[in-house]
Amino acid sequence: MLPSTNRFKRYLRAMNAENVKEWKIELTYRADFIRGMLEPLIFVFPYVLFAVALMGGRTSSVLEGLTGVSDGVTYTIIGYIFMGFLNTAVWGMGFALRKEQWYGTLESIFVAPVPRWVYVMGMASHSIAHQSIILFFQVAVVYVLFGLLLNVQGILPVLIFVALMLISLMGLGLMISGLALMFKEGWIISEVFYSLITIVTPIAYPLAVLPPLLQKLSKAMPTTYAITGIRHFLIAENMEFTLWSAYSRLIIIGVCWVVTGLLMFHIVDRKVRREGTLAEY
Amino acid sequence: MRNDLFLIKEEIKKNIKILLCYPVEIMFWAIFPVLWVIPFIFQGEALVGGVTSSEFGKLAGTDQFIPFVLIGAIISTYLFSSLYGMGGSIRMESYWGTLEYILGSPARKISILMGKALSESISSTLFVATQMVICIFGFGLTLTVGKILPILLVMLLLVAGLYGMAIALAGVTLQIKESRSLVHTIEYLFYLFSPIRYPVGIHPMIAAVSVLIPLTYALVAIRGIWLLNQSVSVLWQYVAILALLDVVFITFGYSIFYFMEKKVRKSGVVAQY
Amino acid sequence: MDITNAIVAEGIVKVFKKKARRKHIIGPKIGKDELVYAVNKVDMKVRKGELFGLLGPNGAGKTTLVKCLSALLLPNEGTAVINGHDIVEDPIAARESIGITTGGERTLYWKLSGRDNLRYFAALYGLSSDEANQRIDYLMKIMGLLDKQYERIEKYSTGMRQKVSICRALIHDPPVLLLDEPTLGLDPSFSRFIRLFIKKDLNEKQGKTILLTTHYMDEADQLCDRIAIMNQGKIVAVDTPENLKKSIPHDEVLEVKCLGHADFEGIGQRVYSQSEDGVQVHRIHSENVEEIMSEVIKAADSAKILSMNVTKPTLEDVFIHLTGTRLTGEFNEE
Repeated sequence: MLPSTNRFKRYLRAMNAENVKEWKIELTYRADFIRGMLEPLIFVFPYVLFAVALMGGRTSSVLEGLTGVSDGVTYTIIGYIFMGFLNTAVWGMGFALRKEQWYGTLESIFVAPVPRWVYVMGMASHSIAHQSIILFFQVAVVYVLFGLLLNVQGILPVLIFVALMLISLMGLGLMISGLALMFKEGWIISEVFYSLITIVTPIAYPLAVLPPLLQKLSKAMPTTYAITGIRHFLIAENMEFTLWSAYSRLIIIGVCWVVTGLLMFHIVDRKVRREGTLAEY
Repeated sequence: MRNDLFLIKEEIKKNIKILLCYPVEIMFWAIFPVLWVIPFIFQGEALVGGVTSSEFGKLAGTDQFIPFVLIGAIISTYLFSSLYGMGGSIRMESYWGTLEYILGSPARKISILMGKALSESISSTLFVATQMVICIFGFGLTLTVGKILPILLVMLLLVAGLYGMAIALAGVTLQIKESRSLVHTIEYLFYLFSPIRYPVGIHPMIAAVSVLIPLTYALVAIRGIWLLNQSVSVLWQYVAILALLDVVFITFGYSIFYFMEKKVRKSGVVAQY
Repeated sequence: MDITNAIVAEGIVKVFKKKARRKHIIGPKIGKDELVYAVNKVDMKVRKGELFGLLGPNGAGKTTLVKCLSALLLPNEGTAVINGHDIVEDPIAARESIGITTGGERTLYWKLSGRDNLRYFAALYGLSSDEANQRIDYLMKIMGLLDKQYERIEKYSTGMRQKVSICRALIHDPPVLLLDEPTLGLDPSFSRFIRLFIKKDLNEKQGKTILLTTHYMDEADQLCDRIAIMNQGKIVAVDTPENLKKSIPHDEVLEVKCLGHADFEGIGQRVYSQSEDGVQVHRIHSENVEEIMSEVIKAADSAKILSMNVTKPTLEDVFIHLTGTRLTGEFNEE
């Protein structure tokens, strides 16, 4: 038998292999790849146009009263662009193993001596890289078309917010990944999570406009702190949390979601192996 | 003819039975498209401080943007669930390995496609009916009985054009296999260029492209009936253009399908997944 | 730690729930919910370096057992130890020692080349880039796939895909191989190549322990050191092919093919009959077939005898003797 390398190194290799494989497969569908890169560029437009239709222009005094920001267009764009990372977690990670079932390769990869979460992390690295490239182009397009004015000095704390949000979203990805294996309608699990989180997250509006119950739920979402924090640093939105409070809540939520995700995944893995439904699509 | 009717009936039965194996999917399509409207309600609250906007009313003819958006959500669900379903139906036949047998049989392709399209219509109607109930009881949307028939007539015209699109999509799926992404792109473009969420007058380019999309006329007519209480004298032109576009899309759709079918038979990619 | 046996299965049970179906969506259920014992208290030991066959018809539980041994399925009871590692307690360590091929058309990434597929799986088994390249070059050369290595799997024939699957199973040079119907669906020349490769290269030259499942009697007979006969989830016999054949009480078999009905009941020690494409095939077991030939001809009566062959008992006969059914269908005992 070939000498076994240190487990950590092996897991890193597997993660990297997963990432490379996903890129290779994605690039074989050239038309789809191009479409996948172009669509997000126009993704925010309907939301922006809706906002413009409501305001009759770019600014809103109501919004300024609530958030300190009058530019409704920029306010809307930032929220929806960063929600792309939620999309990554839900579809990129959450649906990844279901995709393997579709390909017919799930058993082949599960028989390898690598824990399941390693595959999901590998897919996460692909999804995050993918989303980051898209983000770059999105920002460029909206800057040109809508003339965004952002506070560049806020980039570092924004990146920290994004990184902390990603930890939680990885946990979410694990949870969805596991659930998607269990249920025949795996894509619906992803859609349900995506829909519910977008409803309670203050994407294009401040927390204050949500009903009290939804505000409570919203405070359990990492996306709430991340998006509010990002808007605070980029366009000076009023933030009801202090910076460290926001960071620490993100860390706590992140740890909880990751632990829950791993646990849920472990439970589902045992269940599908017991029931023998691993290969079933 | 009798055989065709039997085939259509069996195609519908088959697809509906398969759909019923996925009850969660049924519940999803019946409920979630309406829930997706909720962020717009909050956005409205944040931008205009309430549920009406006079600026919106200048373009849309009604300052009540929530019913405007709800109707857009319901009608677009009908369209997209049918399109996803049609492309997906062909895709699944390919996945199961049954597509070759279907295309290799002496059955008329038009009958098979009609069966598929009708079964998608049946399931979409179920979804939309549930959504209407949610909108009426959950969001306070009102609908008088007298408006139901004219709305249904406009829907039927939309469905006819939809069949043309769906059949074209089925043909394209034979060749490119991955139809879901194509429907996704169509969905994106429709959301941008048709009045699903906002009036097309918001931007001249949006207005210019929207004239080519049947959904535009259907939504304008349906909102005209439902929200604005407009009469036939005002709405007939939209209905007429919709009917004309239907003819174009249906002709185009069948042409695409037959062209693609011949192409895949020649190239032998039918069996490829 | 057991140093003699590479695979030790103890009391493995795998049960599936089979739900009763309804004829119509809202109609009553047809039958009852039942438990299906796909693997029913299987004990098995495979020695290191042995080529061990698991022979049984479709639905016998062979694939389920293999999936249990590879930790893809969790057994309801029992456990197995592969190369010293328990599949339930330490599945990852057990998998490090296993290379597996499973059935099915779609177990590779069709949009990737043969080489890319193997590189990916090599990484999953912890190989570095250089190790993977060396190993892939070696395996693809043996399999004659070097000139196709950069083509996508979707362009490969079934036989070529199976070769890539075998390469994948060997990519990390495991000591234990679980080969589930490796020649299923392949044409005779490919099958011959795979069998020779398994026997000569993998087992004799490299000393790998191989558990091979098959429903092809000839394959098991030619390749395996020992065979376990499996039926309806249970192992009904384990021995060398020769001993299994000798276990049939009668030395010779007269195979009679005829058109029309013939009744050979009472002739010889045991008669098994089957219909194949309208031809009646009767296998008459006897200690000395010469003595029964004239009886057989007389008993054929109005049936037209197409051929009569004297053969030794085969594994098929062993299977029928033990289970009453054929490896590939029902054989009626007269």
